[in-house]
Amino acid sequence: MSKRPDLFTSYQKEISIFPNNTQKFWFVTLLLSSIYICFIASDYWIILITNALLVSIAAWGLNIVSGLAGQINLAHGVFVGIGTYTSAVLGGVATRSVIGFEMDLLIWLPLSGIVAALIGVLISPIAVRLKGLNLGLVTLAFVFIGSHFFSNLTFITGGSGLGRKSAKLNILGIDFNSGYEIGNFLIQKNQILYLISLLVTVLLGLGVKNLVRSKTGRAFAAIRDRDIAAEALGINLFKYKATALAISCFYGGVAGALLTTTFGGVEPGTFNLLYSILFIAIVIIGGAGTVLGPLFGAFFYVLFPAIIQYVVLSSNLSEQDLLITPQQIERIIFGLFIILFLIFEPRGLWGIWFRLRNYFKAWPFSY
Amino acid sequence: MKNAVEFVNVSLNFGGVKALDDISFEVKEGSLFSIIGPNGAGKTSVFNCVNGIYRPTSGEIKIYDQEIADLKPDKIANLGVSRTFQNIELFENMTTLDNILIGAHKHINYGPVTSMLRTKKVKNQEDEARDIAEDVIDFLEIEEHRFSYILSLPYGIQKRIELGRALAMKPKVLLLDEPAAGMNNEETEDIARFILDIHEELGVTIILVDHDMNMVMDIATDVIVMDFGKKLFSGSPSDAAKDQSVIEAYLGVSD
Repeated sequence: MSKRPDLFTSYQKEISIFPNNTQKFWFVTLLLSSIYICFIASDYWIILITNALLVSIAAWGLNIVSGLAGQINLAHGVFVGIGTYTSAVLGGVATRSVIGFEMDLLIWLPLSGIVAALIGVLISPIAVRLKGLNLGLVTLAFVFIGSHFFSNLTFITGGSGLGRKSAKLNILGIDFNSGYEIGNFLIQKNQILYLISLLVTVLLGLGVKNLVRSKTGRAFAAIRDRDIAAEALGINLFKYKATALAISCFYGGVAGALLTTTFGGVEPGTFNLLYSILFIAIVIIGGAGTVLGPLFGAFFYVLFPAIIQYVVLSSNLSEQDLLITPQQIERIIFGLFIILFLIFEPRGLWGIWFRLRNYFKAWPFSY
Repeated sequence: MKNAVEFVNVSLNFGGVKALDDISFEVKEGSLFSIIGPNGAGKTSVFNCVNGIYRPTSGEIKIYDQEIADLKPDKIANLGVSRTFQNIELFENMTTLDNILIGAHKHINYGPVTSMLRTKKVKNQEDEARDIAEDVIDFLEIEEHRFSYILSLPYGIQKRIELGRALAMKPKVLLLDEPAAGMNNEETEDIARFILDIHEELGVTIILVDHDMNMVMDIATDVIVMDFGKKLFSGSPSDAAKDQSVIEAYLGVSD
């Protein structure tokens, strides 16, 4: 280990993801234990963590367009929906009511992101001309247009109330739908999906980090802070706003594809306004504009209800005693958290983590 | 000598208000050109027209003989025009270094997908951009503020960083909108020294708007005086101080 971990001898080292060995060590430890969890945890927890990983991918997407580039987007859930249905059509099984092509994951996963991104590019001429409240209203309209298409294109979505099955899990021609046997060891479908989600999360997380420390990320932030100055410095506003939206939609699409595959099926009513607002809440709670924030926010959003439920169930109190259901408690506390974070910690969970880290970095002289 | 910027009968109206009224002037390449005049004379409007933020109602603006009427601000920036703003327009949630790197935006050419993959090309170009930024930081003597967030820095330093951000573009023409506004004598002298250095060492054509007459008279090579959107005078700084219409604009007319 180097004796002066904060002394950098090149510009690249200064902006590297893990500037010192301690950070590398903790990242590798975290990654290895994440993989290990997959083989010891129960199905319930595996699905829960998979869900959290995928929600954080979608939240990263929203964070790029709203947190980083400052363009409010109330329709992120629609792009998640577009990714979902792209994957379900390409990877799903055809039935009497819906179409499906049973393609490989390596085809439908990237395409889910790309199709969502293309639709993002398609609507960007409208979105990039507006900002602030007007943009918010237009994206609100996208939610309703999206919902309309989702419930009426029944050959794709199965129609409202019915829904359809998700994509099949075939990778490189191998069928993983009922698990896969290596020797005597059986890997469940959930475990495979968990590992895929972990891999995609690491890759796309790396993408976000790289974006932030590049010309493109700086241009996004410049547009967020002062668009007139950004334009005067040679940043093409239209191009960069459209790029931010496209990248955001790509993340949303990929997340949507894997989320649905984890749940096995999807109903078009899922992608309503509340679903889009949810991602905004996650980004705010996690820390808007930060790299790790959406990850924290997503884990908070997914694991928090599970913990509440666990507490309620283990407290031996019936619903009659509590007067409200665990779901209601969860929503009330979740709403409360959004308000508290906006008032007290605009940088969200990331901000708290940042201060904790700095506290322990300087320990025992932290004052 | 070539004209860096040329205004030909430019007028700019906002409803009934004539912000610029039939303005014509030429800025020779390599000059330190100053626009002075009382508040509301239209000085900043001239900048906003050169910069593409406003479109003139009539007339032509040329930058190195290229008509810019149809160009957006980012295209004009790519012609080599950079500017600072009267009220600081820095990116407040970023560090000094990031602000200056954004100034170097047009010297980096890789796409968004490449930037996410962080290829060798990205790394090399980021290093080059950092070199440009470090040169600027060195030039303006703001080394100790490199990693400070803009919000935490004093006003005088922020003004200097904004100058740095404009310089990182390696402009051919630099528009400075009141660089010495709100500064004490010492800070004004610092800024004047930097402006002269930029003009002489880097050979940048500078258009300067400021209210500090002492500074303008000391450093400008050419000057125009404006009042109520009209051009009153153009010539050398020493002649401007003697011109009757200029004195009237600043001090009023005696009955």
